[in-house]
Amino acid sequence: MTTAPVTNPQPRGAQRPRTIRFRIERCDGPGKPARWEAFDVPVEPGANVISCLQWIAANPVTIEGKRTTPVVWDSGCLEEVCGACTMRVNGRVRQSCTALIENLLAAGVTEVTLQPMSKFPVVRDLFVDRQRFFNDLKRAKAWVPIDGTYNLGAGPREKPADQAERYVLSTCMTCGCCLDACPQYKKEEDAKEWDQSFVGAAVISQVRLFNEHPTGAALKPERLDFMASIGGVSDCGNAQNCVKVCPKEIPLTESIAAIGRAVSIHRIKQFFGVRD
Amino acid sequence: MTSASAPPKGNFLDRNHYLLRRLHSLTGVVPIGVFLIVHLVTNSSVVWGLLAHGDKGHAGVETFQHEVNFIHSLPALLLIEVFGLWLPIAFHSVLGVYYAMTARPNNKDYPYQDNWRYTLQRISGYVGVLFIFYHVATLRWGWTFLVPGGTQWTAEHAASTLAMALRGHETDVTLAGLMVAAFYMAGVSLLVFHLANGLWTAAITWGVTVSAAAQRRWGHVCLLIGAGLMLAAWSAVIGFMTLDPAEARQVELRMLAPESAPGTDP
Ligand code: SF4
Ligand code: SF4
Ligand code: FES
Repeated sequence: MTTAPVTNPQPRGAQRPRTIRFRIERCDGPGKPARWEAFDVPVEPGANVISCLQWIAANPVTIEGKRTTPVVWDSGCLEEVCGACTMRVNGRVRQSCTALIENLLAAGVTEVTLQPMSKFPVVRDLFVDRQRFFNDLKRAKAWVPIDGTYNLGAGPREKPADQAERYVLSTCMTCGCCLDACPQYKKEEDAKEWDQSFVGAAVISQVRLFNEHPTGAALKPERLDFMASIGGVSDCGNAQNCVKVCPKEIPLTESIAAIGRAVSIHRIKQFFGVRD
Repeated sequence: MTSASAPPKGNFLDRNHYLLRRLHSLTGVVPIGVFLIVHLVTNSSVVWGLLAHGDKGHAGVETFQHEVNFIHSLPALLLIEVFGLWLPIAFHSVLGVYYAMTARPNNKDYPYQDNWRYTLQRISGYVGVLFIFYHVATLRWGWTFLVPGGTQWTAEHAASTLAMALRGHETDVTLAGLMVAAFYMAGVSLLVFHLANGLWTAAITWGVTVSAAAQRRWGHVCLLIGAGLMLAAWSAVIGFMTLDPAEARQVELRMLAPESAPGTDP
């Protein structure tokens, strides 16, 4: 067995790592003021925003040479399926784990600004609390009711076309991009205001998903009553930002129209005393 | 699990949230949208009347006067105005401003065309309310202190008095008159946009256009409607702006004459 001579591994890509300036909106905790800090981060080929945040966590020194606390962020899967790492990158809400630095640079960016999502209370730095979103999904009864005291047997047969229509709706990862970019969705710091405020596209789309499920449809009247109430589908202003920022390309504006139609029919039926 | 028929809580607006939202959408289309279309077609008759009967020099003024006479011959005109127009417009405006105040425009970070439409819909609503108020107050309710030159619009001299209100003077175009005309240009353009875009979004709101392809197709139709109305609106304002009030007055007097003295047509 021969041993290959040890060579210095060449970094991938021809040029040496560049340095990119990160401007980060920081906040020490709920109710604390926000402040900006800047870091120069050496960018390796293939780097993304999270890997740069990891570098900053290991070297928390600002461009002024001041030592600071590591920047806090949230993440999970690192492959754009959990939604935890959602933040505003250069003003636009997206998943930071799939925000490749090379792609940002290709888009003509010379600095990267990171801000927490704008519609949820900040826990710390880039880490926000999306409780309200989960609460709205509960209000929407976004589930299939199968709990009971006896075996319900096999579910109804499914048409592949229906299943395909629902599949894309089911890929929602509750990241909240569609809420953050929506001009009708307001930040509500006070949980008492939650049931007065627009619920946003993702919740409307989940109502459609579970209403179209043959077993989930058992709760359709209650979901549509929820959609007809204040904060429901009629508070959408048709700006259609939601569908453009959804990383899962969920046809949110189609869901909004479909639920708008369903609620109209539901209300007319109620007016004439017909059961849904 | 709460019962589906639990009565909604809150004040009157909250309890009837959905109904009010839908009525807001409906009134925008019928009667207000339909009226705006009729109104613009009528008023642009000062131009298309000329095109249709080009051989007669003052056909525009005549056609317009004819249309106005027809409207003013309708029975119970004031009732139609109050219940068919002013109340629906007031309802649509008040609720519209109330809803628009909940908007948090974010066009800087999300400069999509649809997002600009969204913001422009709200701006055109605000300006539209001001414009309609000025328009109705000065020309219909006779608040002449708001008209440069103090012109009082009358149905018998529809074209000449309107031209004077837009020009600010009988023989001249004054600066104040130009400002009124510019306000009209902006007001009608924004209102036409508001209607065309409103027709597009109403179809989503009511769930008529569900698929993205259907929304796109209906969008093209709305664009055509908007372009046609814009043409009518601009030709009306420019048509009256460039009309000679004195000549128009002669035409109107001639149209009035046969009634007051039948058989004495010179
Ligand atoms: S279409 Fe509706 S839900 Fe989507 S961004 Fe616009 S206002 Fe928000
Ligand atoms: S609908 Fe799309 S943008 Fe909205 S929460 Fe789900 S995955 Fe995120
Ligand atoms: S970490 Fe899960 S989506 Fe980015």
